[in-house]
Formats: sequence, structure tokens, C-alpha cells
Amino acid sequence: MAKEPEYIIVNIDTPRKYNWSTGKYLGHVYAEAKENKKLVGNKCPKCKAIMWGPTIVCPKCKVETGWEWEELPETGTVTQYTYLVFPLWDPHYGERWANPHPSGTILLENGVYQRHFLEETDPEKLKVGMRVQAVWKEDYDERGLGMQDVPYYRTIEE
Amino acid sequence: MANKVAIVGIGQTYHKSNRPDVNMPEMVGEAVRAALEDADMNIKDIEATFHANMETFEGIYMPDHIMAAEMGGFGKPGLKVATGGTSGGSAVCEGFYMVASGLQDVVMVVGYEKQDCGDTTAAITAALVPSWSKGAATGAIGEFAKQALSYMETSGAKEEHAAMVRLKADKGACRNPYAHLKLGLTSIDQVLESGYLVWPLRFLDFCPQSCGACVLILASEEKAKKITKKPVWLADVEVVHQEPFRAGTFGDPTGTETYTQHVACENIYKRNGITNVRRDIDLAEIYEPSNWEEMNLYEHFHFCEKGEGWKLIEKGVTEMDGEFPVNPSGGVIATNPIGATPIIRVAEAALQIRGDAGEHQATRDVKTALASALGGPNWTTLALLKREM
Repeated sequence: MAKEPEYIIVNIDTPRKYNWSTGKYLGHVYAEAKENKKLVGNKCPKCKAIMWGPTIVCPKCKVETGWEWEELPETGTVTQYTYLVFPLWDPHYGERWANPHPSGTILLENGVYQRHFLEETDPEKLKVGMRVQAVWKEDYDERGLGMQDVPYYRTIEE
Repeated sequence: MANKVAIVGIGQTYHKSNRPDVNMPEMVGEAVRAALEDADMNIKDIEATFHANMETFEGIYMPDHIMAAEMGGFGKPGLKVATGGTSGGSAVCEGFYMVASGLQDVVMVVGYEKQDCGDTTAAITAALVPSWSKGAATGAIGEFAKQALSYMETSGAKEEHAAMVRLKADKGACRNPYAHLKLGLTSIDQVLESGYLVWPLRFLDFCPQSCGACVLILASEEKAKKITKKPVWLADVEVVHQEPFRAGTFGDPTGTETYTQHVACENIYKRNGITNVRRDIDLAEIYEPSNWEEMNLYEHFHFCEKGEGWKLIEKGVTEMDGEFPVNPSGGVIATNPIGATPIIRVAEAALQIRGDAGEHQATRDVKTALASALGGPNWTTLALLKREM
């Protein structure tokens, strides 16, 4: 019987680091979150839509958006959610893990969609239509990661 | 007016999770040789090569430079595209543009992914603005999970309908010698017993990570008639890109987002006089990364009315022996070597038109077929194929 071929696999485990420039518009979001605990989006002068994340050009109107900013509301309604059951590889943590916090799509009061995590980890308590509010990192020194300065949204009773 | 473009050669590898027996160029070479054999051509007859691969998925940058020999690309013009899931569809468009413009007569379109080299989900997550994606780590799967939830809530479809899509796909895959996942499923319950991956998506609701390659040879009318007795005409192509979605990338519960599928298919249907899709087109090979997205795409491409995609699968309309077969090859949920996947859609549609699909040949005669691709923040490419033109 022919011998089974031996295949050689070379494992390459070089970390690839990078520095990412926020740019002027997203930099403003980082600064407002760090200094004032506000998430801000900029406004299209034509259709008046709030760009979140901010953009230099409104993708639909194809006009420059300019420097008119509006604070995003703190509360909204969950329109979609999902949660990891099977751990996936996360390049930012360098390991396989399941984030216990569900990932949600949240419709804020001004019509802006916020794609972020939900604090609630009990699947039984998750539902489309639930009301949530942004939770901020209170320690100034811990802030500085833009949208991540709000780690998740908390369920609120109204 | 564009010159006529024909598909004259089709080749693909078999698809598997791991191919430790070959490196990337060797794997691509298998499909290149198969396509040349199908067209009965020599690599010297190919004037240019268009190449699709999402390089970060393997962790190797500029894979085209190690591929030049196996693709026969040395000393010839060529381009590589990396547009996420649509990469292969974009490469088909590039080949089409070249031949349709008359700048080249015979070109090769190559797509491949060797996902055992890297980690695709990690790479997709890293495609976002870093600070936005930190900790999300669900890649495409999380977005399709949200789509499934929205589809359930808005259309009335049940998990059983998603399971029917997998059963249909598996029936095709088991008959397709090149397909990756061949599960031999016999009941809906077997699908519903598979565990959740990213809720509400089950393991059997989503596509596998495949290694594989697919190659098409495209030729002008004059060349095509000399090369083959069975040219399949690439009648038209369309590409539509999109900004990152705000409301939900693949399933929008608000109805406010613009879907690239709508823009793309409305453009191509209008240009080609297609007013009743299931009457004017005989078969479709669509890019459905999940069971749920297949039902959603039926609606986006106007195979049925909004909210009725699940009824097509329930009635068996899209089965291999149905009135309007969709993905008799087993589709993307059975086989997904990303860069190759959209090219496989076009290749399978062409095999159906040629009558060369073998065991998974559709029952009805296929004269016109639609092939789609999906990727990025919901981008779309389409190809319309015809037997006569």
C-alpha cells in the first residue's frame, strides 16, 4: 500500500500592528466623547440627515456635509439584535471568545441608527422594540475610544 | 453598442475546508487547467487574466504575484479585484468589459479562496473602522443573524422555511461533484436540530468556509465560434455599490434603506426587456450566504412579491425540478470559496444553459439565467446569461 503523503504546514504567527488616523470628522467624535460624554454626528445641508458615523460627503445627496454637528439622543428602540453562541475569532483581542453582550441595531429618537451592544445578556429578556439608554464610562481617563466610550446600551422601563 | 461576449471555457476545483495538499497557486492551477481543457485551448491563447481574491482572508498580500505562472499571466495584461464577496462578480465584469469593448478577444477570469490559510471572520471584522468594530467580532455572520430576525418578524417566515432552503441546497450539493457540504439530509428536523451559531442562525443555516477556485474563459463572437459549438452568451452585467448601511446591513426592518439588489436588477431587467422575471428568466444562481438570505433575495430580485420569499420555497417553485430553479448546484450555503463563489454562480448558470450540469441539471430547459453576487456592506453584481442572442 502506498504511504500516505505528508503535508507540511508552516505556522506564521507574526502580529500585524497598525496605527489608524481618525481624520478630522471622526476625530471630532472622539474628542466630544472624551471631553463632554457626547456622541455627535454631522448634518447633510441638503437632506438634513445626521451622518453617523460622520462623513465628509452625504452618500445619497453627494454634497459636502460641512461642520454642523448634532448630539445623538441617549435613548432609542432596539430594531434588531443577535448574540454569539459559538465563539468566533476576534483580531482585536487575539483570541477566540464570545462577547456576552448582544449586538443590536438601535433606532435613536432622531431617526439615527446606532449599531452597538446591549447590556442585557439574558436571551429571554431580549426583544425587538425594547427601550434602551447609553451607558457612559464615567472615568475621564478611561474614555478616548470614541463610540467605545459607551460600552453598551442599558434596558430602561418607561 | 458592446460586442457580444461568450463563455467558452468553465473549470473549477472540488471544494473542501482544508487543502493541505496544495498551496494557493497550485489550487488555482487545477481550475485553470480544467477550464482550458473544457475549451480545448492552450494557455498561450489567453490574452489577459482577471483575478478575484480577498487577500486578507488568507493573510497573504498581493497573492497575484505568486499566481502569475499558474494563471499563465506572465507578460500579459491583467488586474486583481478585491471587493469582498462580490470580488468574483467584479472580475467577471472586468472580463466582460474587455471583450465587449473589443480591446481583447480571449480573456480568463480567475477566482479563488484558500480559507485554511487564514481567518476570514477576523479579516471581515478588521475591514471596519477599528474603533467601531472592537469587540464585535461577528464578521458577516452577525449581520445575517440580524437579517434572519428581521425577516422572521416582517414576513411571517418560520425556522422551518429556512430549513427547507437547506434541504433544497443539500439535495443539489449531493448531486454536484464539486460541492463542499454534502450532508445527505432527509428532513427539516435534522436542520432544526443543529445548534445555534449566532442566534437565530443555526450551524446549518450558514455557509461553510471553503477552499477552492473557479475559472471562466470569455471570448468575442468570432473567436467563440471557432472555440466551441456551445457558447453561452454573457448578455449583460451590472455592479452596484453601497455606503455602509445605517439601519441593518442585510435586513432593514424600517424599509428606509436603498438595496443594491433593487437598483442592480431593475437596471439589468430594464436594459434587457425583462418585465416578468419568472417568465423571462428560466433559472437563477444567487449568492446566498444563509438560508434566510436566500428567501430575502427572492424578494429583492423580484422573483416574487415582498414578504413572499418563503412561500416560493414552501411551494417548491425553486427546486431543481421546479418552475423556477434557484441554485441547483447547492449554492453558497453548500460551498463558499469566497473569491471564487460569484464565478461559480456564473459557471453553474452557464452549465445549466449548455445542458452540462449532469446530475444536478434542472428539469426544465434553461435558455436564460441570472447569476448574482453579494458582498461588502451589501454590494451587488449581476450577470445575465443566454443560450441564443
